[in-house]
Amino acid sequence: MDDQGHEHKNDSNSESSGGKDDGILYVGIDLGTSRSAISTSNGVRKVVESYVGWPVDMVARKVLKHDIVIGEEALKLRPMLDMHRPLENGLIKEGSEKDAEAVRQLMKHLVVLGGAGGKGDGKKQVRAVVGVPAEALRVNKQQLRGALTGIVDSLMIVTEPFAVAYGLDALLHSLIIDIGAGTADFCVMNGRYPNDEDQRTLNSAGDAIDQILTKSVQEKHPEANFSEHMVREWKEAHSFVGEPPERIVVKAPVRGKPTKIDITDEMRNACESLVAPVAETMIDLIARVEPEYQDRIRNNVILSGGTSLTRGLSDRLQAILKEYGGGRVKVVDDPIFVGSDGGLAIAMDAPDSDWERLSSG
Amino acid sequence: MAELTRTKERILREAVRENVEIMSGRLPGRGRHRIGVVMRAARLFFFLTLPIAIFTTSYVVAKVAGGRSGGVPESMLNRQPPLQRQAARPKATDLVATSTPQLIDPAVFPVAVRKVVLDPGHGGTNLGTTNAGGLIEKELTLDIAHRLRELLESNAFHVVMTREGDAQLSLQKRALIANETQGDIFVSIHVNWLVTRQIRGVETYFLGATDDPYLSALAARENQGSGYSLADLRGLIEEIYANARMGESRRLAEAVQRSLYRSLLERNPGLQDRGVKTAPFGVLTRTGMPAILAEVACLSNRQEAQLLMTASYRQFIAEALYEGINAYASGLNQRSQIGS
Repeated sequence: MDDQGHEHKNDSNSESSGGKDDGILYVGIDLGTSRSAISTSNGVRKVVESYVGWPVDMVARKVLKHDIVIGEEALKLRPMLDMHRPLENGLIKEGSEKDAEAVRQLMKHLVVLGGAGGKGDGKKQVRAVVGVPAEALRVNKQQLRGALTGIVDSLMIVTEPFAVAYGLDALLHSLIIDIGAGTADFCVMNGRYPNDEDQRTLNSAGDAIDQILTKSVQEKHPEANFSEHMVREWKEAHSFVGEPPERIVVKAPVRGKPTKIDITDEMRNACESLVAPVAETMIDLIARVEPEYQDRIRNNVILSGGTSLTRGLSDRLQAILKEYGGGRVKVVDDPIFVGSDGGLAIAMDAPDSDWERLSSG
Repeated sequence: MAELTRTKERILREAVRENVEIMSGRLPGRGRHRIGVVMRAARLFFFLTLPIAIFTTSYVVAKVAGGRSGGVPESMLNRQPPLQRQAARPKATDLVATSTPQLIDPAVFPVAVRKVVLDPGHGGTNLGTTNAGGLIEKELTLDIAHRLRELLESNAFHVVMTREGDAQLSLQKRALIANETQGDIFVSIHVNWLVTRQIRGVETYFLGATDDPYLSALAARENQGSGYSLADLRGLIEEIYANARMGESRRLAEAVQRSLYRSLLERNPGLQDRGVKTAPFGVLTRTGMPAILAEVACLSNRQEAQLLMTASYRQFIAEALYEGINAYASGLNQRSQIGS
């Protein structure tokens, strides 16, 4: 980890990271509500907290020595910053110019981290594939395209679960469920580019769990003092559905004194809230597939995204599928980067002629 | 392996095509592979029936407008339906003119606001914003909406609520309710959360321009072509209607914002007028009537949160919203009367 983002060496198959080195940097980006990941053709993989902050005043600017702070550092320094989490439900927050600018800064940061280089640094041409929620509207995509003008040279926007499917070569008879912070995105792959009927987006995802957890912990421990960031950390460390692996005890200040509080039941209730909408949507999408293929799809349900790491979630969904003839739900090996890796695979596979058509210049 | 490669190539072509369509502002041709034959048949049917439809629509519009208002001047009828004239004879100048469509003058139809669709934001597991004091946006918006409904109904408006209780509704469902119940206006109520917590304020949104180059590109293409495609014409009609709706949405947003700020400032000194703004909110995109989204308070501001805890302040917000809606409705009626 460095101060700008968590770095990961690209250990994915080299087919998507070699073969093209013509002064062009290919990147796949999972622009997430909570975290954004980038995978690039020069082998870099990084993840950044999707927070952008500007110093609140001249004093803060002097202390920070930066005009803008991005990612984990922004989270750490948030008391001195006008903080923006510019994405909401996987899209640029509507109606806020500051949030649109924050997305630009976040993307610029990601692309530089990915090795695009800065001014006078032999800047490479950047061809990017960015994943968005499955049901993003045309205007949302146009808005994103507008925000990225000047940051990348050519841009392709695809839905996030499609990027996951492409990266995993799961293009035929599979159902991708990508559960992030802002949205849970579903996509049935039938060997063709998914259309509206093949895809679905729910706003019940990691953030919804945080909100329910916050409210219920506040109700049970009104004397405890905690922030949304603490709640998110608790969830990421302990989220589960079904039976708890152990009692979940966390520390929160009560009248200034660090105090242990048991949040097991609250955590279960919050995480369980995800199961019904996800299961319902999964069954509904499978039921819409032509009958002879439903069995194959039930046996090829793929969970990705940070929230898919909720313990017991894949088992619960698999148990629900039993009532419909059985099935198999598996969690991808690398839920954080699977979307950006898929985007990179798309970027690398698209021919130059297509990239020229998608040029923003 | 070869099959996978072919599948990938085919899928990539589709992905690129969709992106190019979005870049050029055309409506994406999703689901085309399924409905290709149907589309061709529909296109043929469309062109065969288009002249009849245009004639019938013109006739009905003339009859209705003339009958209700005691006769719309002939000149107005000649001035108004640019779409019909263009569709019948797509000349270059006509098509270019459609890229900046005139707002439909309400005076053409003696309209009134009778049915108001109220949309309390969030609901179910979608809490909206919350604060440490236990206030939850979904509960606040529902409470204010119920109060506003009472005010509207006691003043002869008919009200439809997208949710009566703690129900979770998608944006699509909310828009569907508004469209199916044929509301005259749509008002979505929300409570804001701002990172800069010192700020307290009200703001109102309506569906905004998207820098969509659709119409100019469409005009250029169609000047060269032999006729409209069904999808293109559908887009053209939608765009023109969207512009008319946008004008009314802006008026509604201005009336509501003015009322919210002026009324609430009395109770909430320091309140900021954060203005009328445009944004492509999903719920506003899909509603087929003038539609706004009002952020009636900032839960992130401690003082404003304390005010929101009191029933009297929530009632005050409902009254301010009512005044704004009523002012818009009255203005609309006046404009209609002037036109007739």
